[in-house]
Amino acid sequence: MKRLSVIFLIIVIFLSVGVASAHRLVIVHRIGEVEIEAYFGGGYACRDANVSVYTITENVEELYTEGITDGAGKFTFSPKVGVYEYKVVVDSVHMPGHRSEEIINIKAIDSESAEGGNEMSTYSMALSGLGYIAGLAGFAIWYKGLKAQKNQGNR
Amino acid sequence: MVHISDGILSPGIWISGYVITIVILAFTLRKMKTEDIPRLSVITAAIFVASLIHIPVGPTSAHFLLNGLAGVTLGVFAYPCIFIAIVLQSFLFQHGGITTIGINTVNTGVPALIAYAIFRLGTRKDIHKRAGIFGAIAGGVAVTISVLFLSIELVTTGEVFENIAIIIASAHIPIIIIEAIATGTIAAFFVKVKPEILEGYKGVKR
Repeated sequence: MKRLSVIFLIIVIFLSVGVASAHRLVIVHRIGEVEIEAYFGGGYACRDANVSVYTITENVEELYTEGITDGAGKFTFSPKVGVYEYKVVVDSVHMPGHRSEEIINIKAIDSESAEGGNEMSTYSMALSGLGYIAGLAGFAIWYKGLKAQKNQGNR
Repeated sequence: MVHISDGILSPGIWISGYVITIVILAFTLRKMKTEDIPRLSVITAAIFVASLIHIPVGPTSAHFLLNGLAGVTLGVFAYPCIFIAIVLQSFLFQHGGITTIGINTVNTGVPALIAYAIFRLGTRKDIHKRAGIFGAIAGGVAVTISVLFLSIELVTTGEVFENIAIIIASAHIPIIIIEAIATGTIAAFFVKVKPEILEGYKGVKR
């Protein structure tokens, strides 16, 4: 019985090794393109905007590529081999005066930045703005009341 | 769209904007009374939220300003209200830059003061029954002057912005029309139901 168990074990080991080495599945990954999306506060796509991409190597910036955003405010470029840091400048055409730049490190890109970070929604920001206005009104009323009290005390 | 971002204007222009704004704020805030505050807050909230309502015009879009309405209803107090709204828009929505808060307030606030002057002049000339017409003129003129100020500032910045100034002016034509109608309607309504709400209508004999 003991001998039979040893033979069975040897057969199992041989079979399992054969499966692993004969059909090895290898996964490699490569970042082929960087996609940027430009939009205004409120979520409006920044379309037809001029985009300039600069490579940053040892703190030296060099113009790498230029182009314009599509109808959805998107622009893609292929990264340069061996360069991981880029400065992307977006200059709006249809909403003049709106210009923004972002430093992108393709080694450090995480899911949060890819999804637009933890930016608050427009409605949340609008509500917080209304809250600030209410707070300022309260403060102004309190200040005016305090001032009126002081004036009465002086009389 | 009438909000200018950082890095567009020369320091001379945006510093002048801050100086003008501080002077007007100092003048107007001294006159403010406690009973004015709720009214000012409501209009400030309206101006703040108005910038989120965009109207697509061709390849671009423009948003409401409501500076004419602010001028007609609040008079000189429209300026501090517009200042607060612009500060919040700048920090929360990145509508306009931080260095340009002063000049953006001038671009929107000074036309509001002009709108107030137009409405007040109209109502003082014993034509108070036509408050709607003068409200509409004030509302339309306020937006027009805002666009004019912005265009002048952009043109003086460089040739690149000359075409842009034309785009901005044409994109705001629907806004001018809508705000003129809205301000005229609101002014006519308040003159009938509660004229004391309108700063430009105070002291007018009925």
